[in-house]
Amino acid sequence: MGGDLAPDAIVRGAAEASLSLPGAEIVLVGDATALGRLLPKLRHDGARVRVHHAPSFVEMDEKPAEALAAKPDASILVGADLVARGEGDALVSAGNTGASVLACSRRWKLLPGVRRAALAAVFPTELRRGDRNDPFSLLLDVGATIDATAEDLVTFAVMGSAYARLVSQNRRPRVALLSNGNEAGKGPAAVVRAHELLLETTELNFVGNIEGLDIPRGVADVVVCSGFVGNVVIKMLEGVSETVIRLARYAHKEKLTWRLGLLALSSAIDQLKEVTDWQQYGGAPLLGFEHLFIKAHGRSSARAVTNAIKVAHKALAGGLTSHIARTMAEVEERRRRTGLAAAGEG
Amino acid sequence: MGILGTLRSRILTVGLPPQPPALPRQVTPPKHVFRWDLDKTYLRTEFDSLGDLIKSAIENAADKQAYPGATALLRALRGEGHRICIVSGSPTQMRQVLAAKLALDGVEWDEFVLKDNLRNILRGRFRALRAQIPYKLPALLDSRIRSLPAPNETLFGDDAEADAIIYCLYADILSERVTPADLARVLDAARAYPDDTDRILDLARRVPKGPVVRRMFIHLDRRSPPGGFYRYGRRLVPVFNYFQTAMVLYGDRVLTARQVLFVALEMLDSRQFELATIANSLQDLLRRGRLEREVALRLATEATEAAEQGALSGRSDLPPFDQIARAFADRVRQLGSAAPPQIPGDDEPLDYVKLVDEEHERRRVRRKRGVAVTSG
Repeated sequence: MGGDLAPDAIVRGAAEASLSLPGAEIVLVGDATALGRLLPKLRHDGARVRVHHAPSFVEMDEKPAEALAAKPDASILVGADLVARGEGDALVSAGNTGASVLACSRRWKLLPGVRRAALAAVFPTELRRGDRNDPFSLLLDVGATIDATAEDLVTFAVMGSAYARLVSQNRRPRVALLSNGNEAGKGPAAVVRAHELLLETTELNFVGNIEGLDIPRGVADVVVCSGFVGNVVIKMLEGVSETVIRLARYAHKEKLTWRLGLLALSSAIDQLKEVTDWQQYGGAPLLGFEHLFIKAHGRSSARAVTNAIKVAHKALAGGLTSHIARTMAEVEERRRRTGLAAAGEG
Repeated sequence: MGILGTLRSRILTVGLPPQPPALPRQVTPPKHVFRWDLDKTYLRTEFDSLGDLIKSAIENAADKQAYPGATALLRALRGEGHRICIVSGSPTQMRQVLAAKLALDGVEWDEFVLKDNLRNILRGRFRALRAQIPYKLPALLDSRIRSLPAPNETLFGDDAEADAIIYCLYADILSERVTPADLARVLDAARAYPDDTDRILDLARRVPKGPVVRRMFIHLDRRSPPGGFYRYGRRLVPVFNYFQTAMVLYGDRVLTARQVLFVALEMLDSRQFELATIANSLQDLLRRGRLEREVALRLATEATEAAEQGALSGRSDLPPFDQIARAFADRVRQLGSAAPPQIPGDDEPLDYVKLVDEEHERRRVRRKRGVAVTSG
């Protein structure tokens, strides 16, 4: 029950999800007394919401490993345990990202063929994609695996593609490797090798390497990189967006003509905000485990939490994890066959 | 207009009060009267749009749907010395189809009052078409006056309209906690016609008194926040489904554990509920402080005994009962030692005029949003 606006926004979002997702059961993990006071104030379906008491939670600014060691009954650990025991199918949290990823990795098993998990993030782009006309692309990994091998990057590509296909209803997502140039030979050794492997991975629609400036253009639907690079990229994108807003505020205050200009553009800005509103997307997935974790933004409102739950529901209904496992098995099988054939020729 | 004028004058001359059909003379008073609303309480009726209203008016008995568990509950309540009285805001023209639906469901009733809206139209009393309190309150009072008074009453309504206010007002009139002057003010706020006010005041004076209303249930059809009903005290329990109603009635010693099981089974058979959602319903009641943990434990013990005695025989579709019991016990355990919220006692006086004004405001907002408001 973490998050900047928890528990209010979380409970409100869950209450709304209990009404809008028929067939889903929402388990709220947190302080049962606090949750028991909040829920009756909200429209919800009492038969589709249950509470599981967890007396503590990890604060947003706590160090993940230390916090989990000090709080074995923290809500994120209890939630991950419930899913591991089959008492839940997916986990959604707006709490401390590091602690969430660590809790999942300690309690859940990786899918066969997956060596490292990847945390994905969504970001708005110029181009739209899929049957949903989705303005968001997927970037992974953004911090779960700091140093990824070439094989890990291929796995991330498989997982991201499966997710985009299901959630954005994008039948053939364009997958790209993030590098410092479009050419195949550009980048560190792992990226160069991953490029070679991805060219052989016919299960994916690999479009080659892209540069940082191609990300907001929407050249690819799934952008693959190591957790170290992804984390730097996503933080920079957030920083740029905050700076633009601060500059607009400054312009608004500074000159009447600038203010009038902004006023004239206000409806277009509002439309742009609506199109790129991350809250409509809900959350980003942690991929690679046998179970699904959706990480909602720390500042998630009730609407964002509802949407994060909807994303989890959709991914479950579409059998995301089994789809990833199946594709990974196909990739492995093809590699094995190709390896055998090459050995035979040799 | 000539025909309408003639009819109107004939009715005014004859002055027909809305009378339910004559009842057989009772020898002994009933032990317990259960008063039910129909639409959105027993029957899943939609009247949020004109289309819904038309559909509801023309559909036949077999097409009408009862809420899961409601039929089993009504059958369970039909015991020795029990009386089932139905007071619905549906028009009298629907009597045949509604009675047929109840007969199809095997529900027996002692009294069935519907709203004579045609009479209201012919008399030009259009305000009365939507009126809740000026229709339902006298219907309840009149029903109690016309039969031998029971020492216990339980009322069933919903959150679509003003059932919570009407039922509490009825209970407080019987408990002599509402003076005639206060009642007149409430009826004025409810925009009752002067002759209706006089009639209701007369009925309130004549009705056999006593603190007989033991429990009121509000079915949360609109999924209204249950916390909004705390102000009505512990006697009024908002419920999401009829398993919750059955559990509270078990706690009130009105139903047996076996009867609660039958309500749950009907809900499972409807395929709108699963074991998990029924178990969640138990946890929800505990969380809201509407059921004591001791009662839940007693129910578990007695339900296990009932299951051992064959209450679930022939139900090969269900897991073994110990597994079911464990699911319920888990829900209780998962709450930890959380304290339920404090619900005000039943002694707190209610400001009915304010409640009626608030209800009118809610109706106005719903109308503004384009949601039809009818007498449910």
